[in-house]
Amino acid sequence: MPRLLLILLLLLPALSPAGTPERVVSVNLCTDQLLLLLADPGQIASVSRLALEPESSYMARAARRHPVNDARAEQLLALQPDLVLAGRYSPRPLLQLLRRLGYRVEQLELPRSLEEIRRNIRRVAALLGRERRGEVLIREMDRRIGAVAATFDGTTERPAALFYQPRGYTSGRDTLQDQALRLAGWRNLAAEAGIEGYGHIDLERLLLGRPQQIFTSAYAPGSRSLAQHLLQHPALRRITAGRPMVNVDYRYWICGGPMIADAVEALARAHRR
Amino acid sequence: MTAPRGHGLELLLGLLLALLFVSSLFIGSNPIPVWQALQQSLQPDPGVVGLILTEVRLPRTLVALFAGATLGLCGAAMQGLLRNPLASPGLVGSSSGAAFGAVLMIYFGSGGWYQVPIGGIAGSLGATLLVYLLAGRNAASITLILAGVAVNSLALALISLLLNLAPSPYAVQEIVLWMLGAISDLSLQDVAVLLPGTLAGWLLLVGSGRQLDALTLGEETARSMGVRLTRLRWRIFAAVALAVGSAVSVTGSIGFVGLVVPHLMRPLAGFLPGRLLPLSALGGAILLLAADIAVRLFPAGAEIKVGVVTALVGAPFFLYLVIRSRRWAP
Repeated sequence: MPRLLLILLLLLPALSPAGTPERVVSVNLCTDQLLLLLADPGQIASVSRLALEPESSYMARAARRHPVNDARAEQLLALQPDLVLAGRYSPRPLLQLLRRLGYRVEQLELPRSLEEIRRNIRRVAALLGRERRGEVLIREMDRRIGAVAATFDGTTERPAALFYQPRGYTSGRDTLQDQALRLAGWRNLAAEAGIEGYGHIDLERLLLGRPQQIFTSAYAPGSRSLAQHLLQHPALRRITAGRPMVNVDYRYWICGGPMIADAVEALARAHRR
Repeated sequence: MTAPRGHGLELLLGLLLALLFVSSLFIGSNPIPVWQALQQSLQPDPGVVGLILTEVRLPRTLVALFAGATLGLCGAAMQGLLRNPLASPGLVGSSSGAAFGAVLMIYFGSGGWYQVPIGGIAGSLGATLLVYLLAGRNAASITLILAGVAVNSLALALISLLLNLAPSPYAVQEIVLWMLGAISDLSLQDVAVLLPGTLAGWLLLVGSGRQLDALTLGEETARSMGVRLTRLRWRIFAAVALAVGSAVSVTGSIGFVGLVVPHLMRPLAGFLPGRLLPLSALGGAILLLAADIAVRLFPAGAEIKVGVVTALVGAPFFLYLVIRSRRWAP
């Protein structure tokens, strides 16, 4: 009997790869975020180089503890991963090669709503064998967003706002920003103007909507271009009666994840200005 | 052919320009009540339609007016000076040089508003002089064009290189904008950037018409008539650099206006370079304003650049020039 137990114990580590992956590699900024949030640090073999960029990576600090990759095949093979996490738009030839060589590759969609964020968290948590941690993250995100949304529940007078990005891009219906704006007590002018997804809004149409607040997400602060220059158009400041544009950092949006709660809280705080 | 007497033609073109100027204020992606907008824009705190009129449509209209006039005027001055029908800011490198200078200042400069037109002016002057030195004085059309092609492609290559290296992630997508030119979403600040250099360039050209007229009789004759050629040359190069450099640093290099307009106006000016100058300025402003209005008539959301329209008009005209020169060839 004790011998049988010993054999079973010896077999356990050999069984574990089939259960929970021990060497997970992520090649995409957005899977980096969920991996860093959910995995045990020991499970992470490598994250993508973009995960180190504090502008776009919410988990930039945690990412510094891990080796980075540039999504190149030979680099990934040397890491001997037992799970590769990739995004919807990760380089297809690379993923095909990895699959052909027998590696397990999982691709994640970019979420466009809170529901899709929850689905992504649950999926990655299940892949990593960290379901409990996933549920905790979701509960915490829902609690914070629910607290913000509750303060605007009965309000009928919702001020108009929109996101305005360099080169005149905005977030219409069916985007995270749209849902976040509504949760934080604003009306989304871009959605009302009939824009679906991410699209261009011309300056005249923006002004005719009379926004009370304009939000933006600076992608590369300190750099300059004609696209970014558009945000300094004097008409934008005058239409909001001098209310300055509020910047909600890009890293809360670029990957839909639990950090959306920070963005919703920031949008709600803008009411008080 | 003799020139029409008096200033009837200038008056007619001026009226057409005024008409286009007003229509340009009234036509936009969205219909706005014009009278209400006018009334509002006169008040200290205008409403939204007043704001659209003064802060969105007026800057765009003014830039089209000044940039168009500059390109037409400078094209006429260069064709007169070099006595070469193909000389124009677009072909001789003044525009692409200006775009290079402006790109350098916008994406890599420290941000002072005055830096951009200064970069444009320096780039324009540098490229024009380079072409002039490469082609030599009394250059044949073909030499001038070859030198122009070389300097233009160098400038465009440097622009793409700079935009690829620029720290801003948006820079790369703006290559097209600098190569084709665009005048949407401008503000009155942009007009202020464009205006000083442009007006200085225009002023420098005032009174050069008589000397250009004399130059049509040949350099020797002109010299005997008291034209100081070196001075005239520098004066026109400086004027083109100031005006084109400032305009292009706001609009990007808009092609063909500087080439086509003087050709269209030349018969009307009785083939006198002096008279051609004001006519080409008016014609350039008319062409660019009309092109910009045409851009706005496309369905909203389609962001056609104004340079696309001027190229669509200009390229066939250029072909027509080629065909006509073949017919006249011995």
